[in-house]
Amino acid sequence: MENEKLEQNKHEKPISVLGKALITGFIGGILWSFFGAIASYFNFTSVSPATFVLRSWLHTNWSDGWLGELISIIAIGLLSIITAIIYYGLLKKIEGIWPSAAFGIALWFVVFYLLQPVFPNVSHMTDLDSDTIITTLCLFLLYGTFIGYSITYEYQDVNNTTNQ
Amino acid sequence: MNKDKQKKTIPPRIKEVERFMEDNVGVGTSFDVGFRNLTILKKTTHLYYLTGLCETAIIVELIKKLVEINDNERNIRKVPEIIENRLVHQQVTKAKSMDDVVDQLLSGLIVIFIDGEDEALIVDVRSYPGRSPKEPDTEKVVRGARDGYTENIIQNTALTRRRVRDERLRHEIIQVGERSKTDVCISYIKDIADDGLVDLIKKEIKAIEIDGISMADKTIEEYLVKQRFNPFPLVRYTERPDVASNHLFEGHVLIMVDTSPSMIITPTTYFHHVQHAEEYRQSPTVGTFIRWVRFIGIFASIFLLPFWLLLVQEPNLLPEPLQFIGPNELGNIPIVFQLIAADIGIEFLRMAAIHTPTPLSTAMGLIAAVLIGQIAIDVGLFSAEVILYVAIAAIGSFATPSYELSIANKMARVFLLIVTGIFGLKGFVIGATIYIIGLSCIRSLNTPYLWPFLPFNAKALMQIIFRISVPMTKDRPSIVHPKNNYRQPKFKS
Repeated sequence: MENEKLEQNKHEKPISVLGKALITGFIGGILWSFFGAIASYFNFTSVSPATFVLRSWLHTNWSDGWLGELISIIAIGLLSIITAIIYYGLLKKIEGIWPSAAFGIALWFVVFYLLQPVFPNVSHMTDLDSDTIITTLCLFLLYGTFIGYSITYEYQDVNNTTNQ
Repeated sequence: MNKDKQKKTIPPRIKEVERFMEDNVGVGTSFDVGFRNLTILKKTTHLYYLTGLCETAIIVELIKKLVEINDNERNIRKVPEIIENRLVHQQVTKAKSMDDVVDQLLSGLIVIFIDGEDEALIVDVRSYPGRSPKEPDTEKVVRGARDGYTENIIQNTALTRRRVRDERLRHEIIQVGERSKTDVCISYIKDIADDGLVDLIKKEIKAIEIDGISMADKTIEEYLVKQRFNPFPLVRYTERPDVASNHLFEGHVLIMVDTSPSMIITPTTYFHHVQHAEEYRQSPTVGTFIRWVRFIGIFASIFLLPFWLLLVQEPNLLPEPLQFIGPNELGNIPIVFQLIAADIGIEFLRMAAIHTPTPLSTAMGLIAAVLIGQIAIDVGLFSAEVILYVAIAAIGSFATPSYELSIANKMARVFLLIVTGIFGLKGFVIGATIYIIGLSCIRSLNTPYLWPFLPFNAKALMQIIFRISVPMTKDRPSIVHPKNNYRQPKFKS
């Protein structure tokens, strides 16, 4: 990477790809956690964005309502920027849509299995009902695809145009 | 193809030409190929024409001029030059091979052979039967241009030129079909469109080897985008010259096929199919409103029925305030079968409406409305809510601007209904995921189908969610990889 950047006029483009990756991360977090909130409203899942971000630490009235969900969605949007940075740093060169889908599923395991002790309000993976597992897994898969595929595509697109 | 090797030259002896035309083109057998024998300055001259596709008045005028040569000229040695000079028409060309001559003759041009010459003179007197430009039925607007493309490719290129007077607009013509020899025209603006895309399209079209493409644009599309079992439309069609030229300015490549009024716009994404010219005829805010309503309609046409079915099957999913949803009495048939049956019933109606003549269609509409609507409920076949939701979904389908997309979405809806009916919530969630992932796997001419949603592009998605006013859209969409990125100067001087 560093060698390619030697030409000065190439400086701007990688930054803008990273910038787009950050926006993608933020919007992706907001969008899919919003769908998560809707899914939990219709009882598709027993966990909602607020279950993770707020209710593990806060036990107030408002954290159960729509305000709690809203704040959690924004918080997940911000956290999701970190996901985007991780994907950008590690996996941006891998082509195709399936690696990013696999990334989403891996992320699900990280959140629901490895990080489970951090969220005392979320029950252990084996205790969740199957509907919750399927719904959250699908949401994470779509989220992973959204982040991963967008970053890969943008990276490849810019690379192809500069190489021409 | 080894066409070039076998090209037959024009025999100087006119008797041989006559025999060739009799054997190969069927002069004397086919009644629509005619020929006229003239003697000009003591030289035999033959004029061949195709009756249906020529302008008779012009031919009469030309013959009049040719015959007048006998009165006005006497230089027998220069007959070919004199004849060429006396052909009072702006489009006169020369041909050296019989194959060219035959091709041209059968496209409606007239061919003139002169005894002793190895060249033929070809005059373009074509006049194709056809209609004049008229507003296309599928893309109506309240205000704005009422002209639409026709079946005539020459007229179509002219309609485009009327809107794009740029000298860099290119109309490249390629003939496709060994027997039909259909004209296919690739239109693009040279300094905007992506060269790679233009080359790819030209390569794919030139590689087509088929006897004829009577289904015109559809056949070309199938060769171009390799559809396989994917029901979703991979190219957008338009019959509106304003939509077509707008896409030219954006850097898209258009393909027009003679005998079809539909232009193919490439490359296309899913979101090209959910926009409509009407949105651009209204103020941006109104356009955005129309578009959102349309999006709701399209969304409802896919997900409303399966979702409602899910809530009926598993009422415990409903949150407290929405407990009223769901039928009061379940009826005699499982809801999932009622939904699928009613949906297929509407499909009957739609299909029948396409080919039912207008006087009968009123009667058909009445019967269908009464049958599907009231009697089916009274008999106990359907519950009332089924009719309501199926109707909303059907109207959502009709609100989809692209006819092709609305049918593909209908298939997706039936798929979701079936998986939801069998697997319940898990079926619905996984089915919806498959729908989104499946769409994003599709690539049309190397363009991701769900762009700019997946892969995500914030700027372009804003253009789709909001109908942004034209002075504010400075960039061309990046998906077409335009060579020239700006539609208007970034900063006004």
